[in-house]
Amino acid sequence: MVWSKVSRVTSPDPSEATPRVVDLATVVEPDEPEPQAPDDANLSPQAREEAAKRAEQDRRDRRLVRKLKEGDERAFQELVQTYQNRIFGLMLRMIGNRQEAEDLAQEVFIIVYRAIGSYRGEGRFYTWLYRIASNTCKNRIKYLKGRNFHRSVEIEDSPQAQLPASEGGAVVTFQSQVPGPEATVEGARMEQVIQRELAALDPEHRLLIVLRDIQGLSYQDIIRITGLQEGTLKSRLHRARLALKERLQPYLR
Amino acid sequence: MAEPSTTDADALMSAYLDKQLAPDEAAKVEKLLAESPEAREELDGLASMLKLVKGLPEVEAPPDFYEKVAKKLRRRRGRGEVLWMLALPFQVLSVVMILVVAVTYMLIHLDHDPSVKLERDPNAVKKADVSPVVP
Repeated sequence: MVWSKVSRVTSPDPSEATPRVVDLATVVEPDEPEPQAPDDANLSPQAREEAAKRAEQDRRDRRLVRKLKEGDERAFQELVQTYQNRIFGLMLRMIGNRQEAEDLAQEVFIIVYRAIGSYRGEGRFYTWLYRIASNTCKNRIKYLKGRNFHRSVEIEDSPQAQLPASEGGAVVTFQSQVPGPEATVEGARMEQVIQRELAALDPEHRLLIVLRDIQGLSYQDIIRITGLQEGTLKSRLHRARLALKERLQPYLR
Repeated sequence: MAEPSTTDADALMSAYLDKQLAPDEAAKVEKLLAESPEAREELDGLASMLKLVKGLPEVEAPPDFYEKVAKKLRRRRGRGEVLWMLALPFQVLSVVMILVVAVTYMLIHLDHDPSVKLERDPNAVKKADVSPVVP
C-alpha cells in the first residue's frame, strides 16, 4: 500500500534518539523534466560509456518505480539496496554521526515509499531521491542546531591526533599511505580530522563538497538536486573548497 | 565563520580543476595562473585538499539496512491503522454531537419565533388584536 496522500511522517520508533515529525511537503518536491542528453557524436568514448551506463540505470529505476507504484514491495527493496550506500554516505558525511546518519537514511527511503505517488517520472529518480535526501538532511541539521546537538564523529582525544603535520600529527593521505597497521590507524585518524573540519562548514557548503568531491556527482546533477544556477554553483563550490582548505591547511603537505 | 572573498577569476578556479570551463574561461584562468604566483599557490593548495577529500573511503550502509527500513514502515503502517480504528468512534461521536447541538439550537430558536407560534395557534394573534386597549 502506498500512502501518497499522507502528508506527515511521524516516528514512533522508541529506538530513535529523538522524536521526529517530517512534513513531506518540506522535503518532497515535484520532479522536473530532464534536459536532453548531449549528442553521442560529441562525446569521448569514456563519456559515451558513462552515458550508456546512466541510461541503463535510469531505465532500471523507471521500471522499479512503476512496479513500486503498483505496490510491489520487492521493487522497493531493490531501489533501497541500489541507493542505500550513497544515501547513507551522504548522511554520514553531512551529519558525522553513524547512528544519526543511519536513521536519516532510513527516513529518506520511508519518505520515498510514501511519496512515490507524487513522483511523475519526468526527471531522473536518482536526482529526485537526492533532493529528498538533501532536504531531509538540511532540516535535520537545523533541528539539531536548535537543540545544540554536537555529535559529530568521535575524534581521538590524544594530543598527537590533534597535531598538524608540521608537528608530527596526522599527515597520511589515503592514496599515499604505506600499507600496514600504522598507516591504517593514521588513515582513520585523518578521516576523522576531515570529517570534523567538514562538520564545521556551513551546511550549504558542506552539501556541495559532499556531493561533488566525495560522491563525485556531476555539475548538472548537483544543479538539479540543489536548484542552483550554474554560475552560483561554481562560485559557491569554490568558496566551500576555500573554506575547507583553510581549515585543513595544517594537514596539507 | 566568514567566507573567504573570491573574485570572478578565482571563482572559476574550482571549475577549472574540475574541467568544467568553456575554452575562453579556461584561458582566462590560465592567464591568471601564469601571471600570479599567489593564484598558482592557491590552485595547488586546492588540488592537495581535493586529493585528501576525494580519498575518503567509501562508506557502506549496514547489511541489515533494508530490513530496518521495512520494519519501520510496517510499524508505522500498523500504527496508522490502529490510529484510524481508534479515531473512527470519535469521528462518529463528533458528528452525532454536532447534530444534537444543531437540533437543540433549532428547537430553542423555533420556540421563540412568532411565526411558528402563529402557525401553532392562529387564535392567539386574533385574541390579542381584539382585546380592548386599556388607557
